[in-house]
Amino acid sequence: MSATRGWSLRLRAQPDFRVDLGAVRPATVAGMAAADIAGIQVRHGNEMVALGELFDIAEVACEKPELRLEGDLSRFDAIGRGLDGGVLRIDGAVGDRLGLSMRAGEIRVLGRAGQLAGCEMAGGLIEIEGDVGDFAAGALPGSMDGMRGGTLVVNGDVGARCADRMRRGTLIIRGDAGDFLASRMVAGTVALAGRAGAHCGCGMRRGTLVFAGTAPAAPSTFVATHQDIVVFWTLLRRSLAYHGGPFAALPVRAPRRLVGDLAVDGKGEWLLPHTD
Amino acid sequence: MSEFESRQSGDANSGNAPGLRNGVIIDDTFAEAFPMKATRVLITAHNETWARHAAVSMTGFATSVIACGCEAGIERALATDETPDGRPGVAVLLFAMSGKELAKQLERRVGQCVLTCPTTAIYAGLDEGEGIALGRNLRFFGDGWQISKMIDGVRYWRVPVMDGEFVAQETTAVVKAVGGGNLLLLARDTDSGLAGAEAAVEAMRAVPGVIMPFPGGVVRSGSKIGSKYASLPASTNEAFCPALTPLAKHSELDADTRCVMEIVIDGLTEAGVSAAMRAGIEAIVGRGAAAGVTRISAGNYGGKLGPFHFHLHKLLGGERTA
Repeated sequence: MSATRGWSLRLRAQPDFRVDLGAVRPATVAGMAAADIAGIQVRHGNEMVALGELFDIAEVACEKPELRLEGDLSRFDAIGRGLDGGVLRIDGAVGDRLGLSMRAGEIRVLGRAGQLAGCEMAGGLIEIEGDVGDFAAGALPGSMDGMRGGTLVVNGDVGARCADRMRRGTLIIRGDAGDFLASRMVAGTVALAGRAGAHCGCGMRRGTLVFAGTAPAAPSTFVATHQDIVVFWTLLRRSLAYHGGPFAALPVRAPRRLVGDLAVDGKGEWLLPHTD
Repeated sequence: MSEFESRQSGDANSGNAPGLRNGVIIDDTFAEAFPMKATRVLITAHNETWARHAAVSMTGFATSVIACGCEAGIERALATDETPDGRPGVAVLLFAMSGKELAKQLERRVGQCVLTCPTTAIYAGLDEGEGIALGRNLRFFGDGWQISKMIDGVRYWRVPVMDGEFVAQETTAVVKAVGGGNLLLLARDTDSGLAGAEAAVEAMRAVPGVIMPFPGGVVRSGSKIGSKYASLPASTNEAFCPALTPLAKHSELDADTRCVMEIVIDGLTEAGVSAAMRAGIEAIVGRGAAAGVTRISAGNYGGKLGPFHFHLHKLLGGERTA
């Protein structure tokens, strides 16, 4: 594959206020000159500021449109908002709303992410090495649906209300989850390697929760079913195995299955592969 | 020279002539085939026996589009490392004259023969092509209890049934295909005709992407288009009926030919049909004329109806068919 042009943005200093970086995407800047990129206006608190005042901009060789952000970007929000292709690499922490409503492409974060990571994302891949704040893979306030497709991989812990109202897609959590994991979940798959907080699956209507590690105590609104699900389990297990670690070691035999939340639709399921 | 003799090319006394191989006469003619629409589905089950039960049932009454709606057959057995769910399985090919008819036949057959068969699941066997419903509509059998699941971008339906759940991929792909490749095996008697046909079919089944849709892969009622009866779209091919050798206006047989078996081949590609026909011819040639099949011919309509022409001599020469 022939090399194309990508850009590296190295943070000069922490901004005084939060910065909305949603307008800066790999495909947007791929065809621009350095001076044009430096002139992109982004919201900084209540005012607009040129990107060139915040970052040192350098060209990098890559195989597809790529944007590399370097530095502690925990004050930078909406990175990768509406992303529809290309690669976004962040060598550091990021702020809130990472990958908000993204549709395609890749976002890879080497640090931690703030709240609402992968919020309402509909496609593509986000992989976060560190921890993630609350409401990951969830919905914006007032919105009916959370994550709607794609894959979100968190190698650290996730905060509360993760996958709230999640409708489609796959969420992989290698660490622990906060309270209300998969609350009001509509559909999709959440696989958790660590421990879940309180009220897991509260109001869960459909969807699948896989507990690759310690299974939480089942609430009274979840009940066991005993049918043979080895076919579906094999399809799902093989897909999860790609993510390695405890997901690659899931047992071949069909897991224990609970369904709920019976307080709502009751068609959600918990799969407990390590529980007899 | 008789009309029969004029169909042979090369020196019949020369073992190297294109028209004579190991004593078996290869007619200088061609099989005429037609474009069809096809799909492959993979049926898995608790063991191969049950996968095969479902596949046999699903491909029943699917010998000819003349009256069955589709032509279908088992392509091959699948090992556990070849199936999406790691269970034994069977690959099935279905062919129809249109994508719409194929979708109709597929839904009916999967609904009645696979969904109903214990422990089975069904998946698309082709990746590229226009999608038609596989489990998309069958899911409604779940009466609201069905569950959709997207795994790696593929949607599956899980329908609760009495042995657990029936898993079906949402869609399968339809591709352009070739139907109606054929070989006519002219034999001295029934025993040798059957034995030759069985050997040819066995060899042809090793070719991927093809099926021989008739019982055992063999049809004894080869047909021509039309009939003296206006309501019939097809009728017996009297030119290859031993009973009519002295009676029909035109017969392809001599007095020593007392049994003719036909093998019809449907394939996903023209190359696949060619390879299968070649394998069948080579199987017969390998047995030699002494085994009883003394001549190989093929059925066509003068080249006016089907765009795919499989010339027997070209197949033996390894050339591409036109």
